[in-house]
Amino acid sequence: MEIFIQVIASGLTLGAMYAVSTIGLALVYSALNMLNMSQGALLAFGGYVCFYAMETLGLPAPVAMLAAMVVGGGLGLAIYLLVARPMLGSPMFETQIFIATIGIGSVLQSVVLQLFGPQPKAQPLNVPGGVSLGGVVVPWQSLLILTIALAMLAGVAWLLGRTRAGLAIRATAQNRDAAQLMGIRIGQVYAQVLMLSGALAALSGIMVSSLSGLLPTMGADPMLKAFVICVVAGLGNVPGAAIAALLLGLLEAIIQYLFGVQYAFAILLGLVIGVLIWRPYGLFGKRQVVRL
Amino acid sequence: MSLLEIEGLEAGYGAQAVLHGLNLTIGEGSFAALVGPNGHGKSTTLRAISGLLRARAGSIRFAGARIDRLRPDQIVAEGIIHVPQGDMLFPELTVIENLRLGAYLPKAAAEARTRLDEVFSLLPKLRERQDQVASTLSGGERRMVGIGRGLMAGGRLLMLDEPSLGLAPIVIDQIYEVVRHLAVSGRTILVVEENAMRIAELADRMHLMDNGRIAWDGLGSEFLSRPEIRAAYLGG
Ligand SMILES: Nc1ncnc2c1ncn2[C@@H]1O[C@H](COP(=O)(O)OP(=O)(O)OP(=O)(O)O)[C@@H](O)[C@H]1O
Ligand SMILES: [Mg+2]
Repeated sequence: MEIFIQVIASGLTLGAMYAVSTIGLALVYSALNMLNMSQGALLAFGGYVCFYAMETLGLPAPVAMLAAMVVGGGLGLAIYLLVARPMLGSPMFETQIFIATIGIGSVLQSVVLQLFGPQPKAQPLNVPGGVSLGGVVVPWQSLLILTIALAMLAGVAWLLGRTRAGLAIRATAQNRDAAQLMGIRIGQVYAQVLMLSGALAALSGIMVSSLSGLLPTMGADPMLKAFVICVVAGLGNVPGAAIAALLLGLLEAIIQYLFGVQYAFAILLGLVIGVLIWRPYGLFGKRQVVRL
Repeated sequence: MSLLEIEGLEAGYGAQAVLHGLNLTIGEGSFAALVGPNGHGKSTTLRAISGLLRARAGSIRFAGARIDRLRPDQIVAEGIIHVPQGDMLFPELTVIENLRLGAYLPKAAAEARTRLDEVFSLLPKLRERQDQVASTLSGGERRMVGIGRGLMAGGRLLMLDEPSLGLAPIVIDQIYEVVRHLAVSGRTILVVEENAMRIAELADRMHLMDNGRIAWDGLGSEFLSRPEIRAAYLGG
């Protein structure tokens, strides 16, 4: 029972953390057909901005987090304006932006390396202690991450489902030409989506680094997982991505407990391959394949 | 008074030129039909007017002002509403969400309530289906949503691209009822239609398209009474 609570708690924390960056990725793919390969670097950037704001500038944690999200959003906007927008009309857009964002990612990572050095650093954003739940101590840190992540997911769900801007985003994702014929300025939608995704990546980076520390390469693993989750959910399916992220977080925690950390990712990928053979368009993908 | 004036319009896709100097004028309050064989650039003309496709040469004036350099959303805001060929609904949204998106711009949103009532009374099927997801509708229902969505926008010029294409005869009759209603409502309408004879009964003016140009235009009644025109441009 105690083990069960522990595994669930860490699984949900992992899952919620993954969900925050994954929905950003899914949103950008659904709106622009753009796989943002610089997501990992944006995660790291966010983590370091928060570190810098607290450690060097002495700002309080909430302000530092907000600052990191603003910087992340700004980077997202810059990526749209400077890189994605000029490529948009091209028939090769998906490939071009894929390669281009790999480049952006390595540039951002180098910047982090230049500014902060290669040594690991501890994220000052750390809440000590824990709360006793059924005989197990669940760290405050985990609960805080879970709470913030769920609040963020709820916020994004509200934005997409209940606001005019969200309706414009969903319309653009479903049919760009039709969206324009409704009077939606799709360039603005793209910019908003990349900003939101950049801010979410920064927040996710802060969460990840508060558990496992800061390194310039810290974004690589969460980004890979975010891609895996997106593919499992069905590329571009935003609510599906959030659910798949929570499932995968739980699954990862269970596998870690049963088989050990070193096997977690391999087993996870094995399962994912299984899922994709079973459902090529992902768990929540809409298109049905014709089976022979 | 002409509402839309197109002069020497050239447009196309990649290396392929589709429109070769098209001239077209539509009077305020008139019902114009654009007809012609498949692939001669009817939809391309509408896409150029609504800004989905950039004009390469020539000019498009709406209510006296050039619009050929505006973005599609700006052109909608000017009052040109384009109901595209093939419906182009938002497949994962419900009927009502699709309709609401028709009134996305603030000016239309302010009148969305009354417009919705008008759309529902013109297309009662949509009221029944309002909470159904668009991708699960029948072809005829989809067409009605497409037209209803366009009507939600209000606007000064309504462009319908093949409103009866691919529908069963009985559904075509229903759609024509709606088109007829629009024709007598005094709105300015440009409709692209496969069935030239049928639309000529309703249209004030017929514009015959031939290979990226307007080859003939005249009154609907003239088109009906001169079979040699049909023979020359539409192959009988
Ligand atoms: N997106 C596109 N990319 C490339 N070529 C296109 C595209 N859309 C249309 N075309 C080509 O442009 C030409 C004119 O097409 P358009 O759709 O304007 O014809 P249309 O008169 O509307 O025909 P239909 O009656 O079949 O709808 C055709 O040769 C078509 O193949
Ligand atoms: Mg056409």
